[in-house]
Amino acid sequence: MLNERTEPLKDVSDVVISTRIRFARNLQDYEFPCRLSVEKKCRVAATVKAAALGNPEYSSRFRYISMSELTQEEAVSLVERHLVSPEFISDRQGRGLLLMDNESVSIMINEEDHVRIQVIRPDLDLEGAFEIANKFDDMLDEQLGFAFSDRLGYLTQCPTNIGTGMRASLLLHLPALRESGAMGKISASLGKLGFTIRGMYGDSNDPKGAVYQLSNQVTLGISEKEAIDNLRDITMQLVVQERNAREAMSQNITVLDGLYRSFGILRYAKILTNDECWKLLSDLRFGVEIGIFENIDYDTINRLMIEVQPATLMKNIGKKLPALERERIRAELIRTAIARPKVPANRRLE
Amino acid sequence: MLCQSCEKRQATTHIKTIVNGELKEFMLCPECAGKLGYGSFFSSFGPDLDRLYGGFMDSYTPQVTGKRCPFCGSSFEDIANSGRVGCARCYEIFEDELMPSLQRIHGRTTHTGKLAASAGEAVKVQSEIDACRRELENAIKTQEFEKAARLRDKIRELEKKAAEQGEE
Repeated sequence: MLNERTEPLKDVSDVVISTRIRFARNLQDYEFPCRLSVEKKCRVAATVKAAALGNPEYSSRFRYISMSELTQEEAVSLVERHLVSPEFISDRQGRGLLLMDNESVSIMINEEDHVRIQVIRPDLDLEGAFEIANKFDDMLDEQLGFAFSDRLGYLTQCPTNIGTGMRASLLLHLPALRESGAMGKISASLGKLGFTIRGMYGDSNDPKGAVYQLSNQVTLGISEKEAIDNLRDITMQLVVQERNAREAMSQNITVLDGLYRSFGILRYAKILTNDECWKLLSDLRFGVEIGIFENIDYDTINRLMIEVQPATLMKNIGKKLPALERERIRAELIRTAIARPKVPANRRLE
Repeated sequence: MLCQSCEKRQATTHIKTIVNGELKEFMLCPECAGKLGYGSFFSSFGPDLDRLYGGFMDSYTPQVTGKRCPFCGSSFEDIANSGRVGCARCYEIFEDELMPSLQRIHGRTTHTGKLAASAGEAVKVQSEIDACRRELENAIKTQEFEKAARLRDKIRELEKKAAEQGEE
């Protein structure tokens, strides 16, 4: 099912939400983070920070964040916005983050490796994201001299990342494949081909919405380009399968009824819990994808999917809120965004 | 500790995730971790290392298994138990012990991707030769014969350079 080559499709924004490329890199003269004291971690952070901010082209564009100085909400919000990993905020001592002004590039210091360069782009843009990550990698390598072996490539704390140290991931919306019960089978066959797919938000086996993250697993003995090409090929096949499943479902009255009901709740509810909201936004996107809800664009939904999450919601409001108040504001954010046709993507609720 | 998903098997994988605005940590067995899409690391690396380590215990005295990395002080036991390598040098020190696991995880044991600035001259030349060969194949497929001829000459030149390096 997943081994023939598929011609690249032009616009796949109905399925692909965003693209992420991440490089794992380490300094030669320090133990890997699992064996570093907090004091040494701070030295690594200072060294990487100086290398990045010392570059005149980027010094004004990067903001350095010492992770231990953030409030819990600020830290969690970074995860909700996909800028750092959950692991990164679990113990923030000695960890630092370099964040580019538009948040498209984040460099985690002392996560599982000394340096994790991460680039996020909207839609499907593996080459674009790779090019940017590659540029920052070259710049930092020149100054820091990353740990590298001619035989094994970039050396990483976890042997699963050795070689290219590159993980390419795509955030996919697969409501029809999920609804048809095909995800288990797909996940198993992707696993055999060296990819991994898991649900985002909630239990990853039975996620709240139908948003999945697809990534490459193999990093040794495969070039970055091959890994990216393979990921794109597989994604194209998933897109075709998802679209076929959507087509088959778009006439199903039970499915349609469910989507209209979800739309009704989003449009009129006064309070929304995070979990419920996730499922409803996934349904909203599904409805837009099969053309039953008009005047709502993907950008708006993608933005809402992040802004309604608890820590990001509180960060944007600027204070800690009790659950009920968050649920009220969440419902209001959504009503405002979908009540009127075409809310501009940059419009924020004040 | 038992796996928090199936509550039957031994948990080996520590997962950190954000649920409803809060950081949650839980432990999974390799099987559930695999099903939930969390890395194949422990399922492919763990049992293999268990066997390797078991092998050491059978045939060697503890002093021999006490080999440690001179830079970070890790023993292979530390690496096998935590699934984390201590430092870049550990990969040299424990190459023989790690290689079977790398083979199992990735299916291959030689890097073919991007080269760091610190890479040796020989691999840099070899990587350029490989890139030219791939381009040459494409040029032949698309019948761009002039380009193919240019590439062939370039490959010859690079091979000469590689051979000279080998002699030095």
